[in-house]
Amino acid sequence: MNWSPENGMLLLPLALGWLAVWWLLPREKPRGRILGGLIGVAALLVLQATVLPPAGDLVHDVMFYAFAAAAILCGGLMITDKNPVYAALWFALTTLAVCGLFLLNSAPFLAAATIIVYAGAIVVTFLFVIMLAQQGGIGGYDREAFQPGMASLLSFALLATLLFSLQEWGGIDGKAADEARHGQFVSVPTTVQANLLSQAPESNPREIGSLRVLGRSLFTDYLYAVELAGTVLLVATIGAIAIAPRRSQGHL
Amino acid sequence: MTSTALENQLIVGAILFALGMIGFLTRRNLILIMLSAELMLHGVSVNLTAFGRYHGNPQGQVFTIFVLTVAACEAGLALSLILTLYQRRKSLDVFLWGNLGEDDLRVLSGSSSSTQPTTKVVDPNADFPHLTPAGRAPKSPVTKT
Repeated sequence: MNWSPENGMLLLPLALGWLAVWWLLPREKPRGRILGGLIGVAALLVLQATVLPPAGDLVHDVMFYAFAAAAILCGGLMITDKNPVYAALWFALTTLAVCGLFLLNSAPFLAAATIIVYAGAIVVTFLFVIMLAQQGGIGGYDREAFQPGMASLLSFALLATLLFSLQEWGGIDGKAADEARHGQFVSVPTTVQANLLSQAPESNPREIGSLRVLGRSLFTDYLYAVELAGTVLLVATIGAIAIAPRRSQGHL
Repeated sequence: MTSTALENQLIVGAILFALGMIGFLTRRNLILIMLSAELMLHGVSVNLTAFGRYHGNPQGQVFTIFVLTVAACEAGLALSLILTLYQRRKSLDVFLWGNLGEDDLRVLSGSSSSTQPTTKVVDPNADFPHLTPAGRAPKSPVTKT
Protein backbone atom coordinates (compact mmCIF):
# COMPACT_ATOMS: atom_id res chain seq x y z
CA MET A 1 0.00 0.00 0.00
CA ASN A 2 1.41 3.33 -1.03
CA TRP A 3 1.31 5.76 1.81
CA SER A 4 -0.03 9.11 0.80
CA PRO A 5 -0.94 12.23 2.77
CA GLU A 6 -4.59 11.48 2.14
CA ASN A 7 -4.28 8.36 4.24
CA GLY A 8 -3.19 10.45 7.19
CA MET A 9 -6.43 12.38 7.15
CA LEU A 10 -8.25 9.30 8.34
CA LEU A 11 -6.12 8.87 11.42
CA LEU A 12 -7.43 11.91 13.27
CA PRO A 13 -11.13 10.93 13.36
CA LEU A 14 -10.18 7.33 14.10
CA ALA A 15 -8.03 8.35 17.05
CA LEU A 16 -10.67 10.75 18.34
CA GLY A 17 -13.37 8.11 18.02
CA TRP A 18 -11.29 5.55 19.85
CA LEU A 19 -10.61 8.05 22.62
CA ALA A 20 -14.31 8.87 22.94
CA VAL A 21 -15.44 5.24 23.09
CA TRP A 22 -12.67 4.31 25.50
CA TRP A 23 -13.58 7.24 27.72
CA LEU A 24 -17.30 6.49 27.67
CA LEU A 25 -17.17 2.76 28.34
CA PRO A 26 -18.47 2.01 31.83
CA ARG A 27 -15.86 1.95 34.58
CA GLU A 28 -15.88 1.29 38.24
CA LYS A 29 -15.00 4.91 38.86
CA PRO A 30 -17.51 7.16 37.11
CA ARG A 31 -16.26 9.64 34.59
CA GLY A 32 -17.76 12.69 33.05
CA ARG A 33 -19.87 11.66 30.11
CA ILE A 34 -20.00 15.15 28.64
CA LEU A 35 -16.31 15.20 27.80
CA GLY A 36 -16.46 11.85 26.06
CA GLY A 37 -19.57 12.89 24.17
CA LEU A 38 -17.88 16.07 22.99
CA ILE A 39 -14.87 14.10 21.79
CA GLY A 40 -17.16 11.72 19.92
CA VAL A 41 -19.06 14.54 18.23
CA ALA A 42 -15.74 16.15 17.29
CA ALA A 43 -14.63 12.83 15.76
CA LEU A 44 -17.79 12.67 13.67
CA LEU A 45 -17.38 16.27 12.52
CA VAL A 46 -13.76 15.71 11.53
CA LEU A 47 -14.74 12.54 9.68
CA GLN A 48 -17.48 14.41 7.86
CA ALA A 49 -15.16 17.25 6.93
CA THR A 50 -12.36 15.06 5.63
CA VAL A 51 -13.80 11.98 4.02
CA LEU A 52 -17.54 12.40 3.64
CA PRO A 53 -18.11 15.14 1.09
CA PRO A 54 -21.71 15.92 0.18
CA ALA A 55 -22.92 14.32 -3.02
CA GLY A 56 -24.63 17.40 -4.38
CA ASP A 57 -28.29 16.72 -3.88
CA LEU A 58 -29.19 18.92 -0.93
CA VAL A 59 -32.23 17.12 0.43
CA HIS A 60 -30.62 13.71 0.05
CA ASP A 61 -27.45 14.91 1.75
CA VAL A 62 -29.22 16.47 4.70
CA MET A 63 -31.31 13.37 5.29
CA PHE A 64 -28.33 11.09 4.89
CA TYR A 65 -26.20 13.01 7.36
CA ALA A 66 -29.05 13.20 9.85
CA PHE A 67 -29.78 9.49 9.72
CA ALA A 68 -26.12 8.47 9.69
CA ALA A 69 -25.24 10.71 12.64
CA ALA A 70 -28.27 9.46 14.56
CA ALA A 71 -27.37 5.83 13.88
CA ILE A 72 -23.75 6.22 14.93
CA LEU A 73 -24.46 8.35 18.00
CA CYS A 74 -27.23 6.07 19.24
CA GLY A 75 -25.03 3.03 18.60
CA GLY A 76 -22.22 4.57 20.62
CA LEU A 77 -24.58 5.47 23.44
CA MET A 78 -26.00 1.95 23.36
CA ILE A 79 -22.69 0.20 23.92
CA THR A 80 -21.61 2.68 26.59
CA ASP A 81 -24.75 2.97 28.68
CA LYS A 82 -24.63 1.38 32.10
CA ASN A 83 -28.32 0.71 32.31
CA PRO A 84 -29.29 -2.19 30.03
CA VAL A 85 -32.85 -0.91 29.67
CA TYR A 86 -31.57 2.39 28.31
CA ALA A 87 -29.16 0.48 26.08
CA ALA A 88 -32.05 -1.48 24.56
CA LEU A 89 -33.93 1.78 23.95
CA TRP A 90 -30.86 3.31 22.29
CA PHE A 91 -30.74 0.22 20.11
CA ALA A 92 -34.34 0.83 19.08
CA LEU A 93 -33.39 4.38 18.06
CA THR A 94 -30.43 3.02 16.10
CA THR A 95 -32.81 0.69 14.30
CA LEU A 96 -35.06 3.59 13.37
CA ALA A 97 -32.11 5.57 12.01
CA VAL A 98 -30.91 2.58 9.99
CA CYS A 99 -34.43 2.27 8.58
CA GLY A 100 -34.10 5.87 7.47
CA LEU A 101 -30.93 4.90 5.61
CA PHE A 102 -32.88 2.03 4.02
CA LEU A 103 -35.47 4.54 2.82
CA LEU A 104 -32.73 6.64 1.27
CA ASN A 105 -31.54 3.50 -0.51
CA SER A 106 -35.02 3.16 -2.03
CA ALA A 107 -35.97 0.21 0.11
CA PRO A 108 -39.29 1.19 1.72
CA PHE A 109 -40.52 -2.37 2.15
CA LEU A 110 -37.30 -3.34 3.88
CA ALA A 111 -37.53 -0.33 6.20
CA ALA A 112 -41.06 -1.26 7.22
CA ALA A 113 -40.11 -4.91 7.73
CA THR A 114 -37.09 -3.97 9.82
CA ILE A 115 -39.13 -1.67 12.03
CA ILE A 116 -41.73 -4.38 12.56
CA VAL A 117 -39.25 -7.16 13.25
CA TYR A 118 -36.73 -5.25 15.33
CA ALA A 119 -38.59 -2.49 17.13
CA GLY A 120 -41.81 -4.45 17.31
CA ALA A 121 -40.55 -7.86 18.29
CA ILE A 122 -36.89 -8.14 19.16
CA VAL A 123 -36.43 -5.01 21.27
CA VAL A 124 -39.68 -5.54 23.11
CA THR A 125 -38.83 -9.13 24.04
CA PHE A 126 -35.31 -8.16 25.06
CA LEU A 127 -36.73 -5.38 27.25
CA PHE A 128 -39.14 -7.90 28.72
CA VAL A 129 -36.31 -10.24 29.66
CA ILE A 130 -34.16 -7.42 31.04
CA MET A 131 -36.92 -6.14 33.25
CA LEU A 132 -37.78 -9.65 34.37
CA ALA A 133 -34.19 -10.50 35.23
CA GLN A 134 -33.14 -7.27 36.86
CA GLN A 135 -35.82 -6.42 39.33
CA GLY A 136 -33.17 -5.63 41.91
CA GLY A 137 -31.60 -2.82 39.94
CA ILE A 138 -28.49 -2.71 37.81
CA GLY A 139 -26.10 -5.56 38.48
CA GLY A 140 -22.47 -4.94 39.22
CA TYR A 141 -21.49 -6.56 35.95
CA ASP A 142 -23.11 -3.74 34.02
CA ARG A 143 -21.12 -1.01 35.73
CA GLU A 144 -17.80 -2.21 34.49
CA ALA A 145 -16.68 -3.10 30.98
CA PHE A 146 -14.37 -6.00 30.33
CA GLN A 147 -10.98 -4.82 29.04
CA PRO A 148 -12.28 -1.61 27.43
CA GLY A 149 -8.93 -0.43 26.15
CA MET A 150 -7.95 -3.61 24.34
CA ALA A 151 -11.38 -4.26 22.85
CA SER A 152 -11.90 -0.73 21.54
CA LEU A 153 -8.35 -0.62 20.19
CA LEU A 154 -8.91 -3.89 18.33
CA SER A 155 -12.23 -2.73 16.89
CA PHE A 156 -10.86 0.59 15.77
CA ALA A 157 -7.93 -1.20 14.16
CA LEU A 158 -10.51 -3.19 12.17
CA LEU A 159 -12.34 0.02 11.30
CA ALA A 160 -9.08 1.64 10.21
CA THR A 161 -8.27 -1.25 7.88
CA LEU A 162 -11.78 -1.08 6.41
CA LEU A 163 -11.57 2.65 5.80
CA PHE A 164 -8.03 2.48 4.42
CA SER A 165 -9.00 -0.26 2.01
CA LEU A 166 -12.02 1.76 0.93
CA GLN A 167 -9.68 4.65 0.29
CA GLU A 168 -7.31 2.39 -1.62
CA TRP A 169 -10.24 1.30 -3.74
CA GLY A 170 -10.41 4.93 -4.71
CA GLY A 171 -13.75 6.29 -3.83
CA ILE A 172 -13.57 8.02 -0.51
CA ASP A 173 -12.65 11.33 -2.01
CA GLY A 174 -15.30 10.95 -4.65
CA LYS A 175 -12.77 10.61 -7.42
CA ALA A 176 -12.14 7.13 -8.62
CA ALA A 177 -8.39 6.81 -8.85
CA ASP A 178 -8.36 4.12 -11.47
CA GLU A 179 -11.43 3.94 -13.61
CA ALA A 180 -10.75 0.45 -14.88
CA ARG A 181 -10.21 -1.00 -11.43
CA HIS A 182 -13.20 0.94 -10.24
CA GLY A 183 -15.40 -0.61 -12.85
CA GLN A 184 -14.03 -4.04 -12.18
CA PHE A 185 -14.86 -3.79 -8.53
CA VAL A 186 -18.39 -2.58 -8.75
CA SER A 187 -19.79 -3.85 -12.03
CA VAL A 188 -22.26 -6.69 -11.96
CA PRO A 189 -20.52 -9.90 -12.92
CA THR A 190 -22.25 -11.27 -15.97
CA THR A 191 -21.87 -14.89 -15.01
CA VAL A 192 -24.15 -14.52 -12.01
CA GLN A 193 -27.06 -13.26 -14.04
CA ALA A 194 -30.21 -14.88 -12.85
CA ASN A 195 -32.79 -16.76 -14.81
CA LEU A 196 -34.84 -15.28 -17.58
CA LEU A 197 -37.94 -14.56 -15.59
CA SER A 198 -36.23 -11.81 -13.67
CA GLN A 199 -34.55 -10.18 -16.59
CA ALA A 200 -37.04 -7.35 -16.86
CA PRO A 201 -34.91 -4.24 -16.68
CA GLU A 202 -35.59 -1.98 -13.77
CA SER A 203 -35.03 1.24 -15.59
CA ASN A 204 -36.48 3.47 -12.94
CA PRO A 205 -34.26 3.38 -9.86
CA ARG A 206 -37.22 4.20 -7.68
CA GLU A 207 -38.72 0.83 -8.56
CA ILE A 208 -35.87 -1.19 -7.12
CA GLY A 209 -37.39 -1.53 -3.72
CA SER A 210 -40.98 -1.82 -4.80
CA LEU A 211 -42.82 -4.91 -3.78
CA ARG A 212 -43.33 -5.98 -7.37
CA VAL A 213 -39.64 -6.10 -8.27
CA LEU A 214 -38.64 -7.46 -4.89
CA GLY A 215 -41.24 -10.21 -4.90
CA ARG A 216 -40.42 -11.24 -8.42
CA SER A 217 -36.75 -11.54 -7.58
CA LEU A 218 -37.49 -13.32 -4.32
CA PHE A 219 -39.81 -15.93 -5.78
CA THR A 220 -37.99 -16.62 -9.01
CA ASP A 221 -34.26 -16.35 -8.42
CA TYR A 222 -34.26 -17.14 -4.74
CA LEU A 223 -37.15 -19.53 -4.40
CA TYR A 224 -34.96 -22.27 -2.99
CA ALA A 225 -33.44 -19.84 -0.50
CA VAL A 226 -36.92 -18.71 0.54
CA GLU A 227 -37.90 -22.30 1.26
CA LEU A 228 -34.69 -22.78 3.21
CA ALA A 229 -35.36 -19.61 5.22
CA GLY A 230 -38.83 -20.87 6.06
CA THR A 231 -37.35 -24.14 7.23
CA VAL A 232 -34.81 -22.28 9.35
CA LEU A 233 -37.61 -20.27 10.96
CA LEU A 234 -39.54 -23.45 11.74
CA VAL A 235 -36.52 -25.19 13.22
CA ALA A 236 -35.63 -22.11 15.27
CA THR A 237 -39.17 -21.93 16.63
CA ILE A 238 -39.13 -25.58 17.65
CA GLY A 239 -35.67 -25.18 19.15
CA ALA A 240 -36.63 -22.10 21.13
CA ILE A 241 -39.67 -23.88 22.57
CA ALA A 242 -37.56 -26.90 23.44
CA ILE A 243 -34.78 -24.89 25.06
CA ALA A 244 -36.89 -22.42 27.01
CA PRO A 245 -37.35 -23.32 30.68
CA ARG A 246 -40.50 -25.22 31.55
CA ARG A 247 -42.97 -23.99 34.06
CA SER A 248 -42.50 -27.23 36.01
CA GLN A 249 -38.81 -26.56 36.50
CA GLY A 250 -39.54 -23.35 38.32
CA HIS A 251 -40.17 -19.86 37.19
CA LEU A 252 -38.09 -16.77 36.88
CA MET B 1 -26.49 7.64 -7.36
CA THR B 2 -22.95 8.79 -7.45
CA SER B 3 -19.98 6.93 -6.14
CA THR B 4 -19.67 9.33 -3.24
CA ALA B 5 -22.97 8.34 -1.75
CA LEU B 6 -22.03 4.68 -1.97
CA GLU B 7 -18.77 5.40 -0.16
CA ASN B 8 -20.52 7.29 2.59
CA GLN B 9 -22.93 4.46 3.20
CA LEU B 10 -20.10 1.94 3.27
CA ILE B 11 -18.30 4.08 5.87
CA VAL B 12 -21.42 4.29 8.01
CA GLY B 13 -21.84 0.53 7.80
CA ALA B 14 -18.23 -0.02 8.80
CA ILE B 15 -18.60 2.31 11.80
CA LEU B 16 -21.76 0.53 12.95
CA PHE B 17 -19.99 -2.82 12.62
CA ALA B 18 -17.02 -1.61 14.68
CA LEU B 19 -19.29 -0.19 17.39
CA GLY B 20 -21.16 -3.47 17.60
CA MET B 21 -17.88 -5.33 17.87
CA ILE B 22 -16.78 -3.12 20.76
CA GLY B 23 -20.05 -3.80 22.54
CA PHE B 24 -19.78 -7.51 21.90
CA LEU B 25 -16.29 -7.65 23.35
CA THR B 26 -16.70 -5.39 26.36
CA ARG B 27 -20.17 -5.80 27.76
CA ARG B 28 -20.81 -8.45 30.36
CA ASN B 29 -24.58 -8.58 30.20
CA LEU B 30 -25.78 -11.50 28.09
CA ILE B 31 -28.62 -9.51 26.55
CA LEU B 32 -26.40 -6.58 25.64
CA ILE B 33 -24.00 -8.98 23.93
CA MET B 34 -26.88 -10.17 21.76
CA LEU B 35 -27.97 -6.60 21.03
CA SER B 36 -24.42 -5.72 19.98
CA ALA B 37 -24.49 -8.62 17.52
CA GLU B 38 -27.70 -7.16 16.11
CA LEU B 39 -25.93 -3.81 15.75
CA MET B 40 -23.26 -5.52 13.66
CA LEU B 41 -26.02 -7.00 11.50
CA HIS B 42 -27.38 -3.48 10.98
CA GLY B 43 -24.03 -2.36 9.63
CA VAL B 44 -23.99 -5.25 7.18
CA SER B 45 -27.56 -4.48 6.08
CA VAL B 46 -26.68 -0.87 5.33
CA ASN B 47 -23.82 -2.11 3.14
CA LEU B 48 -26.05 -4.54 1.27
CA THR B 49 -28.80 -2.06 0.50
CA ALA B 50 -26.26 0.57 -0.57
CA PHE B 51 -24.73 -1.84 -3.06
CA GLY B 52 -28.16 -2.90 -4.29
CA ARG B 53 -29.06 0.72 -4.94
CA TYR B 54 -25.72 1.31 -6.62
CA HIS B 55 -26.11 -1.58 -9.02
CA GLY B 56 -29.77 -0.92 -9.61
CA ASN B 57 -30.95 -4.42 -8.87
CA PRO B 58 -32.94 -5.85 -5.97
CA GLN B 59 -30.43 -8.50 -4.95
CA GLY B 60 -29.01 -6.47 -2.08
CA GLN B 61 -32.44 -6.01 -0.59
CA VAL B 62 -33.28 -9.68 -1.06
CA PHE B 63 -30.14 -10.59 0.82
CA THR B 64 -31.08 -8.14 3.57
CA ILE B 65 -34.45 -9.87 3.90
CA PHE B 66 -32.62 -13.13 4.52
CA VAL B 67 -30.39 -11.38 7.06
CA LEU B 68 -33.57 -10.20 8.79
CA THR B 69 -34.91 -13.76 8.85
CA VAL B 70 -31.75 -15.15 10.38
CA ALA B 71 -31.68 -12.29 12.90
CA ALA B 72 -35.20 -13.14 14.01
CA CYS B 73 -34.28 -16.82 14.45
CA GLU B 74 -31.15 -15.85 16.33
CA ALA B 75 -33.03 -13.55 18.67
CA GLY B 76 -35.58 -16.21 19.51
CA LEU B 77 -33.01 -18.89 20.20
CA ALA B 78 -30.80 -16.47 22.13
CA LEU B 79 -33.67 -15.39 24.36
CA SER B 80 -34.60 -18.95 25.24
CA LEU B 81 -30.94 -19.77 25.93
CA ILE B 82 -30.53 -16.65 28.08
CA LEU B 83 -33.64 -17.54 30.07
CA THR B 84 -32.27 -21.02 30.70
CA LEU B 85 -28.90 -19.66 31.77
CA TYR B 86 -30.56 -17.09 34.00
CA GLN B 87 -32.56 -19.79 35.68
CA ARG B 88 -29.40 -21.65 36.59
CA ARG B 89 -27.33 -18.81 38.02
CA LYS B 90 -29.93 -16.11 38.73
CA SER B 91 -27.78 -13.55 36.99
CA LEU B 92 -27.10 -12.33 33.49
CA ASP B 93 -23.37 -11.99 34.04
CA VAL B 94 -21.47 -13.83 31.35
CA PHE B 95 -18.47 -14.37 33.63
CA LEU B 96 -20.43 -16.75 35.80
CA TRP B 97 -20.14 -19.15 32.88
CA GLY B 98 -16.41 -18.71 32.52
CA ASN B 99 -15.79 -22.15 33.96
CA LEU B 100 -17.29 -23.87 30.94
CA GLY B 101 -13.93 -23.82 29.21
CA GLU B 102 -11.44 -26.57 29.46
CA ASP B 103 -9.36 -27.10 32.54
CA ASP B 104 -6.13 -25.68 31.26
CA LEU B 105 -7.66 -22.40 30.11
CA ARG B 106 -7.65 -19.26 32.20
CA VAL B 107 -11.02 -18.62 33.79
CA LEU B 108 -12.44 -15.24 32.82
CA SER B 109 -12.98 -12.85 35.66
CA GLY B 110 -13.44 -9.16 36.12
CA SER B 111 -10.52 -6.81 36.35
CA SER B 112 -11.44 -5.79 39.87
CA SER B 113 -12.94 -7.81 42.64
CA SER B 114 -15.13 -5.19 44.28
CA THR B 115 -17.99 -5.24 41.81
CA GLN B 116 -17.58 -8.88 40.94
CA PRO B 117 -20.58 -10.95 41.99
CA THR B 118 -18.84 -13.95 43.44
CA THR B 119 -21.86 -15.62 44.96
CA LYS B 120 -22.69 -18.56 42.79
CA VAL B 121 -26.07 -20.11 43.20
CA VAL B 122 -25.60 -23.81 43.55
CA ASP B 123 -28.16 -25.52 41.40
CA PRO B 124 -28.91 -29.12 42.30
CA ASN B 125 -29.84 -29.78 38.70
CA ALA B 126 -26.45 -28.66 37.51
CA ASP B 127 -24.77 -31.91 36.74
CA PHE B 128 -22.41 -30.91 34.03
CA PRO B 129 -20.46 -33.64 32.32
CA HIS B 130 -16.75 -33.61 32.88
CA LEU B 131 -14.97 -32.86 29.68
CA THR B 132 -11.65 -34.39 28.98
CA PRO B 133 -9.17 -31.73 27.96
CA ALA B 134 -8.74 -31.71 24.23
CA GLY B 135 -6.16 -30.20 21.97
CA ARG B 136 -3.20 -32.02 23.43
CA ALA B 137 -1.19 -34.49 21.46
CA PRO B 138 -1.20 -37.90 23.13
CA LYS B 139 2.04 -39.44 24.17
CA SER B 140 3.70 -41.24 21.39
CA PRO B 141 4.05 -44.95 22.06
CA VAL B 142 7.24 -44.96 20.05
CA THR B 143 9.99 -43.57 22.22
CA LYS B 144 12.68 -41.74 20.43
CA THR B 145 16.10 -43.11 21.00
